[in-house]
Amino acid sequence: MIIRWVSEDGKRKWIYPIKRDIYTKGKIVKQVSKKAKVIGITKVNIPSPMHPIIPYYVLLLEDEHSNRIPKKTMREYKIGEDYEISLATTDGAVIITKIKYDVYEYLKESIELLHNYGISPEDKILIKPSIIEPAYQYQSVTTNPELLDALITYLKEKGIKDIVVAEQAMLGNDTMASAKKAGILDVCKKHEISFIDLAKSEYIEKTYDNFNFRIAREILERKVINLPVMKTNSQIVISGAMENMLRIVDEETQKKMFKNDIEKTLPKLIKVVPEFLSIGDATIGLQAQGPTLLGEPAFLNMLFLSKDPVALDAVFTEASMLKKPHYLKIADVLGVGNCDTEKIEVIGDELEAIKCPLKAAENNASAHTNMKLIDGKANPYIFNIALKMTAKLVGLLGEEVNLVIGSFITKEMLQKKSRLVAYGKDAIEQMEKLGVKAIAEIPEEMGDIEKVILLKSILQNPNKENITVADNLKSKIIGLGMKVRKKF
Amino acid sequence: MVYIKGTGMSKFDVSQDWSYERIYDCVNEALDSGNVSLEDIDAVFISSSEAESNGERQKHTAPMISSMLKKKIPMLTVPAGCCGGGAALWDAVSFQKVNNARNVLVIGFEKLVANISEKATDEMLRGGERIYEQAEGLIFPAQNALVAQQYMMKYDATSDDLALVALKNHENAFDNPKARFYKKKITLEMIKKSPVVASPLRLFDCSIPCNGAAAAIISKDKTDIEIAGSALSTSKLSSFERENITSWNSTINAAKTAYEQAGITAKNIDIAEVHDAFTPVELISYEDLGFCCKGEGARLIREGTVNINGAFPTNTSGGLKAKGHPISATGVSQIYELVLQLRNQAGKRQVDNIEYALAHNIGGAGCVTTVHILRKSQ
Repeated sequence: MIIRWVSEDGKRKWIYPIKRDIYTKGKIVKQVSKKAKVIGITKVNIPSPMHPIIPYYVLLLEDEHSNRIPKKTMREYKIGEDYEISLATTDGAVIITKIKYDVYEYLKESIELLHNYGISPEDKILIKPSIIEPAYQYQSVTTNPELLDALITYLKEKGIKDIVVAEQAMLGNDTMASAKKAGILDVCKKHEISFIDLAKSEYIEKTYDNFNFRIAREILERKVINLPVMKTNSQIVISGAMENMLRIVDEETQKKMFKNDIEKTLPKLIKVVPEFLSIGDATIGLQAQGPTLLGEPAFLNMLFLSKDPVALDAVFTEASMLKKPHYLKIADVLGVGNCDTEKIEVIGDELEAIKCPLKAAENNASAHTNMKLIDGKANPYIFNIALKMTAKLVGLLGEEVNLVIGSFITKEMLQKKSRLVAYGKDAIEQMEKLGVKAIAEIPEEMGDIEKVILLKSILQNPNKENITVADNLKSKIIGLGMKVRKKF
Repeated sequence: MVYIKGTGMSKFDVSQDWSYERIYDCVNEALDSGNVSLEDIDAVFISSSEAESNGERQKHTAPMISSMLKKKIPMLTVPAGCCGGGAALWDAVSFQKVNNARNVLVIGFEKLVANISEKATDEMLRGGERIYEQAEGLIFPAQNALVAQQYMMKYDATSDDLALVALKNHENAFDNPKARFYKKKITLEMIKKSPVVASPLRLFDCSIPCNGAAAAIISKDKTDIEIAGSALSTSKLSSFERENITSWNSTINAAKTAYEQAGITAKNIDIAEVHDAFTPVELISYEDLGFCCKGEGARLIREGTVNINGAFPTNTSGGLKAKGHPISATGVSQIYELVLQLRNQAGKRQVDNIEYALAHNIGGAGCVTTVHILRKSQ
């Protein structure tokens, strides 16, 4: 697709989506072409950081208005050949679109390639963004409000009147505060659309393979458009179309899903929800220590769309040159979707042509350089609080501490690791089972300030071998003091 | 009237001297060759592309120069991609005229080759448009390859012509002690058999990135060399956006202004340093600068007109191709070469009977261009 923003008199063209002609103050008309001819080709044989795979080709395309763009491809074209992107022919196709400034136009084009997802004006739509914690748009931890705005605009143009936006934050975070900081509430307000906190929803029980899911009623009663931010994830490699659906269930179910191995239960959850469209938000994207604020923006300028969340995640993982998450293979076996990228129909930009390594998330990193996580697939609450505790202590030097979280801890994971601190019921129980002694156990019901004070005393006392009654008492007193100070 | 007093230039290479060392040495050379005291410098214009990957991480270059020269006069950094040196000179000339300054120092420097090649490539890539170009793999060689291809389809030019441009510039650099390819024999066969970087461009069609610095002192005091024309022009960031891909209007416009200022035409130019970041750019620039008609660039190289012993020698220094291309130092180093030529100090590269000399410096693929015309004072 080639777009130009043209002055009313046709005398000036811009490659940027400007709103007014700066010379005449007149209106701007969009010139959109979906067909172009190849007028130039170069075969590039040297790699660069954004384009590590060679050889590749760059085509010079020209439309009927003599507008030109360069286009990367791995396919050999001939000068004079037509260049056109065809519609998806399979149900599980994945659309890859590089955005050129105008999010709305490229989103619209992408949905059209999926035959408009069969949208009709009578549809009741629920948009499920990703808003796990309070973060600004630029931090790319939450769905880009610009994309949400573009999607709502598109749906309204299609005549749809009944649209809601719904999400719940990561366990331990406040949904409304997160949605506000992310700019999502502003978009809802602009379009006069309700935002629903799924944490306060009515839940309906659905069962698959003897596993009960308590799913928010709205998810089951509406046509869902899933709007995940495409991110790295230190627990399951990536957060994408599949992971974003985790937060449609209640807190208890989420914890149970992790206790029973999230990589196995997540595919089962997808199995019991009706078909949905996923629009993977890689307008910025997150890399390195995702999925939380420890990650860093990736500036991808892309969208990934599919009705098959497994295929979407598989394509994104391969494009990012990350290892394939285990849950995708399980989902494939369960028949939830297709994780074999060789068999997935990719439309739009070519998968091979967009491959560029994202910085992967390390499984053991925390916010603090002296504190490592030993993460046995801890549930979102424990994971979230563990990261927050370590973040509170950044800047304080100390002796290495290994914070053990989650149920799936093995003896191998603990080998050669000293100064183990078990956090949360699952980790405490599992370490007892394994017969490995922790120097401290931090129960999840302990107050947040007390937890941090305890962890600080362990970090800063290299000879500490266990937590005493006095330590616990001290942390309680300090914690109480801090609470009182905060109150007054 | 603006004149040139002294010039200085470091060797263009990949040595890892601190930037201050190179700058200090070439400023000294400029002061000595122009017989100027540092006391008499009224302003400094500096260009550097502010590379992040070289370990120095010095973005605030003007105060750095202030620390070095112990001067509290106006100093300004002028980054303009590969045209940085030319842009700094253009700024200095404009400043001199407006403020009636006596002496203005111009410095271009770069330490770009100081990290793995991917990092250096990435630094240079930042000069291109991000969303349409960088995201589509349009690194600079690829961008210029597409331009070359369009040019070759439109006009009578071939890869052999591009090879002749490279050969000429390497032959010139062979005798330039400050060039990256000094005393390095490059044959036509080596050029034609070099690997294809981005078809149709081969390795030897691309200029060589390196580190370096150059300085010039301009003055209102009459000297033997006058800056008769000084022009800067810009164009759209992306070459694909322009109506004509094979002719760069920033060069055409800058040249037109500079010729008008000097009261001459292209026919008066005796010698030129042309921005040959890629060999096809040199051919296109012959045409855009008015040295020949459109589509006739290849004829000049085939007939040897632009060779050092031809009727109109270009890039006697070896050009960006073989002298080396330390981005922001390039534009000032062109002045260094032309001053040597005008003062009959170019040694084996000396061209006789020069009255007018032209320096042509481009940033990006024709995004910003400066043209400077030097002449022997009457």
